Amino acid sequence: MADYKLQTAHLYGDLMNTYGDYGNIIALSYYANLIGVDVETQVISLEDDFDDTAYDFVLFGGGQDYEQMVVTKDLPGKSEAIKRYIENDGVFLGVCGGFQLLGDYFVLADGTRVEGIKAMMHYTLNQTDSRFIGNVVIEDPTNGDVYRGFENHQGRTFLDAEERPLGMVKQGNGNNGEDGGEGLVYKNTYGTYFHGPILTRNGNLTLRLLQTMLERRYPDVDWASQIAQLEPEFF
Amino acid sequence: MSLRSSLATFVGNSSHFVLKDILHRGGTSLPGKLAIKIDPNVMTSLAEKYDVILITGTNGKTLTTALTTRVLREKYNNVITNPSGSNMMQGITGTMLTAKPKAGEKPIAVLEVDEANVEEVARQLKPKAFVLTNIFRDQLDRYGEIYTTYEKILKGIRLFPEATVIANADSPIFMRGNLPNPKVYYGFNHEEASGDMRAPYNTDGVLSPTDDSILHYHFMTFANQGYYFSKTDDFKRPELDYAITKLNKLTPSYSNFDIDGKPFQIEIGGQYNIYNAMAAYSVGRFMGVSESQIKHAFESNAQIFGRQEAVKVGDKDVTIVLIKNPVGANQVIQMMSTDDQPFSLIALLNANYADGIDTSWIWDADFESLADTNMQAISTGGERYKDLYVRIKMAGYGDQPVHEDLTKIVEAIEAQPTEHVYVAATYTAMLQLREQLKQKGYIKSGMEG
Ligand SMILES: [Zn+2]
Repeated sequence: MADYKLQTAHLYGDLMNTYGDYGNIIALSYYANLIGVDVETQVISLEDDFDDTAYDFVLFGGGQDYEQMVVTKDLPGKSEAIKRYIENDGVFLGVCGGFQLLGDYFVLADGTRVEGIKAMMHYTLNQTDSRFIGNVVIEDPTNGDVYRGFENHQGRTFLDAEERPLGMVKQGNGNNGEDGGEGLVYKNTYGTYFHGPILTRNGNLTLRLLQTMLERRYPDVDWASQIAQLEPEFF
Repeated sequence: MSLRSSLATFVGNSSHFVLKDILHRGGTSLPGKLAIKIDPNVMTSLAEKYDVILITGTNGKTLTTALTTRVLREKYNNVITNPSGSNMMQGITGTMLTAKPKAGEKPIAVLEVDEANVEEVARQLKPKAFVLTNIFRDQLDRYGEIYTTYEKILKGIRLFPEATVIANADSPIFMRGNLPNPKVYYGFNHEEASGDMRAPYNTDGVLSPTDDSILHYHFMTFANQGYYFSKTDDFKRPELDYAITKLNKLTPSYSNFDIDGKPFQIEIGGQYNIYNAMAAYSVGRFMGVSESQIKHAFESNAQIFGRQEAVKVGDKDVTIVLIKNPVGANQVIQMMSTDDQPFSLIALLNANYADGIDTSWIWDADFESLADTNMQAISTGGERYKDLYVRIKMAGYGDQPVHEDLTKIVEAIEAQPTEHVYVAATYTAMLQLREQLKQKGYIKSGMEG
């Protein structure tokens, strides 16, 4: 039995789960297990409350349009708790739809404006008859790390002046194909369009997130040296 | 038949002759193309001569069509069908043009139709029945959403409210749309309808058709299928007309089960294929074929087309299976779990257009559950071996051999520690594998069996 445990909430995991998003939790558990930490995951969906003090990591993935609309109707009941979790430095990963919904609003393919939960103020416009699909490579401006992934999105997301991108695009389109940014970082919250699950392919980033989670939950343990022993996957 | 239609039929027939006999290709689509060009409604005049049964859905169309045809032939002398892969308008036109129904009883056409073509095909063929297998998200389906796909099917069905809908009732999406049609429902009733569970995180289409609440299940078979019910209103799976009441024995090469208390067997493994058999059974009963005739049709020895193929490589018994999406991969894993012999698994991943350029689906497939099988060894390969290697590693199998170079794949198969070897491959990886097997003389043709 592991002595340490992390709790993960997979937000609307039964509705927002396209293109391997759950892989992010698989990767996180994999590295955590190697240093004796268990990861438990709960799907928090339409019928459930989100308790912002209960989790060390929250994953909010992408969904099909239909499911995304159902989720949008349910979100107001959870959005205050989600905002508290983010403001209190909780580790959060929003992928594609989950990234868009954290922001101010997004515009559907048919032009309808849908309100986000406004935890941040980025917004997402649509593009007609085209999608950004393909491999992406970005560089993290804070540490020079390179991240690889696969993007597949119709939305074009624009960050608010107070937000910064996760990385600058070396290959692919990124948030909007214009400003060279991909994803978003705000406190310990990350947004991205990487569906080729970002944490499976970019072990460095995964280990940084893992360390943040563990240091928040178990501040008296020297996690940095244990994590430094791990070999991050990168492909 | 109008002069135009007769001419179109003639052109269709003769171009088929030219293609088949001179070019030696299965020319089912070109004659259709020519005939449609001359008379876009050529089918309508042809179709009047037939009772038409359309079979559609994401998975299982081909096997369901093959089994249904076999079942109906137990009672009827005049049953035609389209070859697998010819499920667009042109291919279907080609099939109907080149068929030579015997005089006498009205012939039956059992046709596999691509989901996106149901409306167009139905409009011309005036089907007597629509058979719906399932709808899953398919990465190769150009990112189509399941509700959009179903909407396309509904458009075809709505043209013919008198046609019978024969549907997999375990698939909740088919309860959408309030169709006035007469219905026949099939599904599984092999477990007590008492549990209360929600679908796992990684399942599509789990919203109630009535109010978009999350469906609960008394039991689940696979993906989003099972005995579902709603907790917010009185919606639940409808009563089944025909049901699997017991699973007697499941193996990779056959499945034995009870339909409404009577034993049946199909000569192909995989729980998903039992759904296809249920569809064929339901069509058979709808068309007046007796239980014993259906039983005979299921058990007759003729090879039925499946997604698996057996090849002898040296002293290894190799089973080759195609994988392309999470639902399909999970079905293959489920099928392997019914194997009571030790086996090795080689998984090959490419990401060319025909495979799907996005490999992220491997993270949605449940490789973790291979732990519950008799698998003795696992290794990965293909152009994207690294993705799959990490996937398998993180599924709990640690460091495992990789086959970067598929030109050495036959040696790798020969070196496996067990007599029985499964090779699960995406489409172009499968072609590369077959090319190697052909070069080594283990199979005749690189392209198809
Ligand atoms: Zn997406």
